[in-house]
Amino acid sequence: MVATVLGIRLRTALHLMRRDWWRAVLIGFGVLWALVFIPSLLWIQSALARQPADVRADAAVVIAVIAGLGWVLVPLLVSGLDDTLDPARFRSVGADARRIMPGLTAAALLTLPVLYFALAFGLIGFSWRPDGSAAVLVALLGMGLTLVGLVFGARVAALWGTRVLASRRAKAATAAAMLLGLGALVPLAYLLFSQGLSTVLETDFDLLLSQLALTPLGAGAAAPLAAADGDWWGAGWRLALQALWAVVLHAAWRANVARSLVVPLARGGGSRRRDDQVLDARPGFAVPADGPAAAVHARLRRAWLSDPRYLASLAGVLLLPSAFFVLVVPVFDLDPRWSYAVALLLAATVGWGRHNDVAFDSTALWLDVVSGRLGRAVMRGRISATAAWALPVVIAVALATLVWTRSWQDAPGLIGAAVGVLGVSLGVAAVSSVLVPYRAPAPGQNPFGAETGTVGAGFVAQLASSAVAIGLLPLVVIPFVLSLTVSPLWGWLACALGIAIGVGAYVGGVRLGGIVYDRRSGRLLAAVA
Amino acid sequence: MVTSALAPALSLRALTKRFGDTLAVDRVDLDIPAGSFYGVVGPNGAGKTTTLSMATGLLQPDAGTVHVLGVDLWAAPEVAKPMLGVLPDGLHTFDRLTGAELISYAARLRGLDRETTRRRRDDLLAALDLEGAGRTLVMDYSAGMTKKIGLACALVHAPRVLVLDEPFEAVDPVSAGAIRRILTSFVESGGTVVMSSHVMALVERLCDRVAVVGAGRILADGSVMEVRGGADLEQRFVELVGDVREHRDLTWLRQS
Repeated sequence: MVATVLGIRLRTALHLMRRDWWRAVLIGFGVLWALVFIPSLLWIQSALARQPADVRADAAVVIAVIAGLGWVLVPLLVSGLDDTLDPARFRSVGADARRIMPGLTAAALLTLPVLYFALAFGLIGFSWRPDGSAAVLVALLGMGLTLVGLVFGARVAALWGTRVLASRRAKAATAAAMLLGLGALVPLAYLLFSQGLSTVLETDFDLLLSQLALTPLGAGAAAPLAAADGDWWGAGWRLALQALWAVVLHAAWRANVARSLVVPLARGGGSRRRDDQVLDARPGFAVPADGPAAAVHARLRRAWLSDPRYLASLAGVLLLPSAFFVLVVPVFDLDPRWSYAVALLLAATVGWGRHNDVAFDSTALWLDVVSGRLGRAVMRGRISATAAWALPVVIAVALATLVWTRSWQDAPGLIGAAVGVLGVSLGVAAVSSVLVPYRAPAPGQNPFGAETGTVGAGFVAQLASSAVAIGLLPLVVIPFVLSLTVSPLWGWLACALGIAIGVGAYVGGVRLGGIVYDRRSGRLLAAVA
Repeated sequence: MVTSALAPALSLRALTKRFGDTLAVDRVDLDIPAGSFYGVVGPNGAGKTTTLSMATGLLQPDAGTVHVLGVDLWAAPEVAKPMLGVLPDGLHTFDRLTGAELISYAARLRGLDRETTRRRRDDLLAALDLEGAGRTLVMDYSAGMTKKIGLACALVHAPRVLVLDEPFEAVDPVSAGAIRRILTSFVESGGTVVMSSHVMALVERLCDRVAVVGAGRILADGSVMEVRGGADLEQRFVELVGDVREHRDLTWLRQS
């Protein structure tokens, strides 16, 4: 069965590459990119080897923890976990979890990212050379077990995330995830802002690392330090803890796979709605006046409130701005006014996140296409549904940062720049989502899934939309920066320019997106199907 | 642009579509007379869905033209598309809406005002026996119910030409009877129905004209009587498209 499952995976990848040659090119670029970093890894290894054993262990724990966060969060935030081996695909063949798990496990461990991480972790392991071969052996074992835990942990997180988002509690779960994420950052922010980076690093960070080294997040990475000190019991129990963690995660993964094989993702759960919210929509902000655009707006409003794919996007938008505020501002001891970047980053993240918006309709967009030449109405309805919640949230965040800095003279410039960034990024998204759409998880599918290779196609579209947005954003950001650095009078100009350019880019982007939609309507379905 | 009363409901000329090395539709010429109940039949992979997708604006042809009642669909979609009602096969629907909302959505996209939308939505839910399911999300519908709600969306703006891909697939006999009555009455009132199906008996029963599609080409078309040529439609179909190459006996499947 292992060979069969691995064979399915390889065969699928080969077929896709034969059908779309560019997938092979993108994988080639990925491999090249990874190879370019190998000299850096070798340098890190030799640098670590020259450090005292405790510094080396601390560095290994930090790397293991950051890698762990990355392995769990990246697939959740960036749709792209390969779903070739989504256990749900094995439902129809009647195989049970016990039979397919060895194959799924082997397939999960034999991917390019895992092989690359194995190389990187292996090099870190070899940095224990100065402490003898026994320490190297323990380090290799510890890092190996850590990597296995990361791979299994990512699978468990994706399957649990999928289940929660497909359930009737998806909305509450998204809100809880956002609150938990922010809640976890608050103590860190408090420490960094109140004590400063150097104190935190000297006291709290050391304490944190020593605690992490006692958990499955860092035990494997810290085990060679114990071995180097001759504490074989300490090395042994850390390795055992790391191995036990991998076993527990594998069991949790297996339980999820077993469930996926017999229980389809929860759908609507038979829920009933009393009102026709398309025909008699509740009044709201930014609702278009004309019938077709209002209908699309109402449909997208429902999606933002209940579709797992949209809820997953919603949960991810706060990550970058929050991390900037909590980590970058205090760590680099920046002027408090740097916190204004939070509102601007949030606006840019929200807008950029919609660069593939049309593809989220998947083949259901046939109804929009056959109903006439409705490109403008469709795009107006779509983008206004995002703007309806994003504009108030961005302005609220801008006001919150003004409360923090107490520099109310910066308010006009900040509000103008935030509106400008949101308008420009949504305008760019309106065009890119029609011009370069790529396959997104279809309704009812794993919201974290993507067909092998679409990550690459998405990367091209993301790069293109980012480049255009980056080219346009200085128009609204520079006047605001001048208001902070040259004269507050620039603030009013930044306000006027930001609002004018933001509204102009939004309206222009939506119109242009609509025109492109109509021109490409006969190709859109094939592009997203 | 003015539509011609004498023009065919659908007129396809040299319609061509290629997917990589596969020629899915090969210079198809077809006229579907206005007021007819037209069946399109063909084996799996014959190019029926691709042809109907190009004929309804869902898929851009590589070459050729499509006219709906005399209007060039790809040159003037804003005139041609309102005359079409479309039910595709195998595509998603906006399944986070309820059945009632999905019909309202289709109606509003077609420019119907609120009151007309409300009236027609309720009529369609009743006619298709979906009144009880109108408030349920489409994601919880069975395949047959999804088909019926899709048909309601195709009908809501009272089009002149209905293009339906497998409209009876997965639909229960009672609902199928209701759909047959709606479609027959639509044709009697001057409308045109173009329907693809794999069920020959259904095509013989409902359609007055039929086209047999095979390997991306029209192998035969005309009245059902003409195409049948004295045999039954299924027999004629097998003659035209060819039987399976080998009638291999699956002895291992036998129970005794």
